[in-house]
Amino acid sequence: MLRKAPAGGRAVASNGTTAATSSLPVISSEDMCPVCKTIRYLNKDMEFLINPECYHSMCVNCVNRLFNDGPNQCPYAGCRKTLRRKGFRSAFFGDLSVEREVDIRRRVAAVFNQVEDDFETLKDYNDYLQMVEDLTFDLVSGTDAQRRAAEATLQQWELEHKADIERNRKAGKEADEQSRRRLAAEREAARQRRMEALREAEEEKLERARSREAELDSLAQGDVGAGAQRVQLKRRGQAAANRAVEAAVNAAVAAADVGRLSIRGLKEKKKAPAPEGPYDPFGGMDFVPSRYKLRAGLTHPGIEKYKHDPAHITGGYSFDEYMTRAMFEAFAGLGVFIEDEKEVGIGLSAGEVATISAGIAAVGDKMELD
Amino acid sequence: MEFNIDDLPVLFPYPRIYPGRMLAGSYMVDLKKTLDAGGNCVLEMPSGTGKTVTLLSLIVAYQQYYPSHRKLIYCSRTMSEIEKALVELKALMKFRAERLGYEEEFRGLGLTSRKNLCLHPSVKREKSGNVVDARCRSLTAGFVKEKKEKGEDVEVCVYHDNLDLLEASNLIPNGVWTLDGLLRYGEQHKQCPYFTARRMMQYCNVIIYSYHYLLDPKIAERVSKDLSKDCIVVFDEAHNIDNVCIESLSTDITEDSLRRATRGAQSLENKINEMRESDQQKLQDEYEKLVEGLRGADDGRQEDSFMSNPILPDDLLKEAVPGNIRRAEHFVAFLRRFIEYLKTRMKVRQVISETPPSFLAHLKEYTFIEKKPLRFCAERLTSLVRTLELTNIEDYQPLQEVATFATLVATYEKGFLLILEPYESDTAEVPNPVLHFTCLDAAIAIKPVFERFSSVIITSGTISPLEMYPKMLDFPTVVQESYSMTLARRSFLPMIVTRGSDQASISTSFQVRNEPSVVRNYGNLLTEFAKITPDGMVVFFPSYLYMESIISMWQGMGILDEVWKYKLILVETPDAQETSLALETYRTACCNGRGAVLLCVARGKVSEGIDFDHQYGRTVLCIGVPFQYTESRILKARLEFLRETYRIRENDFLSFDAMRHAAQCLGRVLRGKDDYGLMVLADRRFQKKRNQLPKWINQALLDADTNLSTDMAVSSARRFLKTMAQPFRAKDQEGISTWNMEDLRKHQEKMDEERIKELQAQRDRELNPPPAAQAASHVGAGQAESDYEMDDFDEAELMALDNNA
Ligand code: SF4
Ligand SMILES: [Zn+2]
Ligand SMILES: [Zn+2]
Repeated sequence: MLRKAPAGGRAVASNGTTAATSSLPVISSEDMCPVCKTIRYLNKDMEFLINPECYHSMCVNCVNRLFNDGPNQCPYAGCRKTLRRKGFRSAFFGDLSVEREVDIRRRVAAVFNQVEDDFETLKDYNDYLQMVEDLTFDLVSGTDAQRRAAEATLQQWELEHKADIERNRKAGKEADEQSRRRLAAEREAARQRRMEALREAEEEKLERARSREAELDSLAQGDVGAGAQRVQLKRRGQAAANRAVEAAVNAAVAAADVGRLSIRGLKEKKKAPAPEGPYDPFGGMDFVPSRYKLRAGLTHPGIEKYKHDPAHITGGYSFDEYMTRAMFEAFAGLGVFIEDEKEVGIGLSAGEVATISAGIAAVGDKMELD
Repeated sequence: MEFNIDDLPVLFPYPRIYPGRMLAGSYMVDLKKTLDAGGNCVLEMPSGTGKTVTLLSLIVAYQQYYPSHRKLIYCSRTMSEIEKALVELKALMKFRAERLGYEEEFRGLGLTSRKNLCLHPSVKREKSGNVVDARCRSLTAGFVKEKKEKGEDVEVCVYHDNLDLLEASNLIPNGVWTLDGLLRYGEQHKQCPYFTARRMMQYCNVIIYSYHYLLDPKIAERVSKDLSKDCIVVFDEAHNIDNVCIESLSTDITEDSLRRATRGAQSLENKINEMRESDQQKLQDEYEKLVEGLRGADDGRQEDSFMSNPILPDDLLKEAVPGNIRRAEHFVAFLRRFIEYLKTRMKVRQVISETPPSFLAHLKEYTFIEKKPLRFCAERLTSLVRTLELTNIEDYQPLQEVATFATLVATYEKGFLLILEPYESDTAEVPNPVLHFTCLDAAIAIKPVFERFSSVIITSGTISPLEMYPKMLDFPTVVQESYSMTLARRSFLPMIVTRGSDQASISTSFQVRNEPSVVRNYGNLLTEFAKITPDGMVVFFPSYLYMESIISMWQGMGILDEVWKYKLILVETPDAQETSLALETYRTACCNGRGAVLLCVARGKVSEGIDFDHQYGRTVLCIGVPFQYTESRILKARLEFLRETYRIRENDFLSFDAMRHAAQCLGRVLRGKDDYGLMVLADRRFQKKRNQLPKWINQALLDADTNLSTDMAVSSARRFLKTMAQPFRAKDQEGISTWNMEDLRKHQEKMDEERIKELQAQRDRELNPPPAAQAASHVGAGQAESDYEMDDFDEAELMALDNNA
């Protein structure tokens, strides 16, 4: 367990004391260089640079003029720092005291990079965080003595925990890298999906245009029958169905993914189509009667005499076959609701229905003859 | 009247009821089903048919009849709607008391903001609601009272302090209190109505308040946390609920607000220094509490806690505050860094949109601010503000906004997006950057509601297509239903005009909207309808921009002069005061016979919440499909989100959104059964979108009326208006569009008979016939009524009710 007692309730020096930095200007007067007094009005692309030695800002021209020939003293009154051209950069923050603070934090963070898992309890971790924060505060706005002490602590810690620091640095880098990759992948995936959606919409439009064309064609050929319309309806339905199937598959894949990893970005691999079973001409329909049971030896006085009539037997006529069919016909209409059927609109035309019923009637007649 | 639904006796305070609500599987039955099942439902019911009273009478009956006494939380949008609902409730309870012969133990209260309920002589005069809140808090905070007790000279509010003298569970007697009544009671007894209502919420049977008290997590946390799970939650007028949800979680940050936040942080720092000098101990106490965890620091959050915080997951609340923001000065420096970072980001001059994770990664890289302390930001700030005993809280509002933003961005990875727009418009030269932190997922804000309460009822006059809402808000439903109206006569005539008189098609789609021929055709349409419409006429445009351009073109074509002959012309503007002046003039002109046309915008204030009943609106003309402005980046992001997350396609959503606004506009003119009006949809594109209209409008729309040219529309409108001019007596409606007791009983008997038949048929089919008792139990339900004599009520009274509903 790492431990370093946090500095309890010790009051941190209020910032009024000595900190040389508290007087740093906020670049609110962003429009005038404090050194050469050029204003933005005269030089549109004026750019300001700072040097982390003292964080005094000045325009690029001044920097070039003063420091191109080698190190020089900072032109600010009262500032004794010697600055080099190399050290100048533009500031990220508008408030230069924050800029400085962040620079210090960068240094501290490089050393104090423990993570929560390194600690036994959350409280220890929080205490550690506070200790680091106190130290940073000392560095940023402490008195000279505090700052020196903090620097010493920093160095000491660095020496003591070299291995840990190195390990955490690597881990941190990796984690960053990973999250960056994840973000990138996610963005890419989102883009893909957007394209996909666009394509889909496009296709749909095309499909619609095509079906309209087909309709017009068929009209042009004078084939105004319901047939054409049905074809068209079917095609439209087909497209929708295809889409639905696709969506379902996608959803299933997505659902399967949930359990695995939360990386949304990874491309979905095409799954091999499921192996096809043996061919089934009836498409899975099952003719085993569900409403009644056939018993062997079922009989009826009406057919009893034919069982011995050679005219019937010799031909190989099967009476069981006959019974089965009779039963089937007796129950055939049950469970069919005309209303429902009508809505679905099975493709039977009236003519077809008529022939079928005629066929049934014929069968019935023959039976009666028997 | 009194009747039964299943075994539940319902008292309905009016002698007649619209059949739409009584048919099997209809409103009340569905409601009851939902409550029994403890699930959610989405119900659409035509506007102006007494939806509120139906809802209330069923739920109150339910409350009183079943032992569980589930509390009702009724949410509406505006203060006037809340007041209306309270009045209805009051009438209902009065009726119940008369019928039952005794007063039930019942309490119903409404709650609205302090601004509307404050009695403090100087505070109530403040203009802005925020200021009232802030000032009230500084008078009522816990430490103020402490100081007072110590004998210090601090200002307090007597209205608030008087409450402490009363019994906490009985601040106000039983009964239904309208907001008005509450104010009067408060004045009489010198007690604060706002806090009376807030503290009594636990002891109420019915609470009526605005959406925000449940949906806005910042408020909900404080106001609604004590409500129990079995409460019945109703969102009325909920067609816009998804937008309310989204708005409650979105924030915009501007350079100005950041500047003021910096100032706030600065003054916080000064206060800390001051306090360190004077009262070091308080800071130390706070620090020690924070070491223990947030909740501990909060002493079970007081009702008047200083600032409000967004939803935090519960585990977060139990966790201790991260070590690096425990100390006051550390935290302020932390805030400063965050604000400075935002300022820097705002300097960028190109549009940026990024997700919270990528924002956080960048933030960490440049400021070393981690996600975790960021999540605690809002809570930490609240605690600090309380410790410092700040009184002028208004000054810290912007800082608090930033803190809320910090918490949200660190809490939600998905469903939010940051969009930085440096310029107000594409053509603007001067940058005015706004950082939109926008919520894309309406489900996030409403999720706690669905999680906490078992029955949530979402209802409105126009909430089609119903399945869109469960999808968008991500909740399961027990019932989704849209009810149609049955009318004795066609009292409204919806039409779709697709062509001008010259047979050229009209539309406001981008390609043609500014073509003179289209504009002229629209102009003619307006003129023609202005000629034939009696009294008031309301015209809706898709946007202000288009309205302005079309009006100036009409001016040039002399169309406005023509219209002027028949009607006064008034225009809605984005300015609320101007608009209300226009409305007033409009009303006057409608009443005195001059007649007027109100030109307004389909997404403006007029289209939501202002009723044009009777002479105030005889024609509503919807020019163009009111699509949203699709170039908005926020909308684009939301569309993409909807597609990715809920598989709602862009076009479906846009079309749904446009049609719900159109339906809202149409619904404005028909506010009751004796009202009549024309509903004209003028755009070629409406023809295909017909099915997206609410069922009750769609049903009344004849196929012949879906593809009209201007002249055809005018002639059929003439015919319609002629029939409307015939006298129409209340009696004609009876039995068809309103039912009295007799009709109702007949209907119920019929339904029961059918049910019995069905059961018998079912029994015949089965091998073991079920015991006859099962069928008999249903017979009983229909016969339990008493024989009240009805109808001394006059139809007019019923109508008055409708107008309120
Ligand atoms: S306690 Fe009530 S009366 Fe007093 S200031 Fe607050 S809201 Fe107004
Ligand atoms: Zn310079
Ligand atoms: Zn310097």
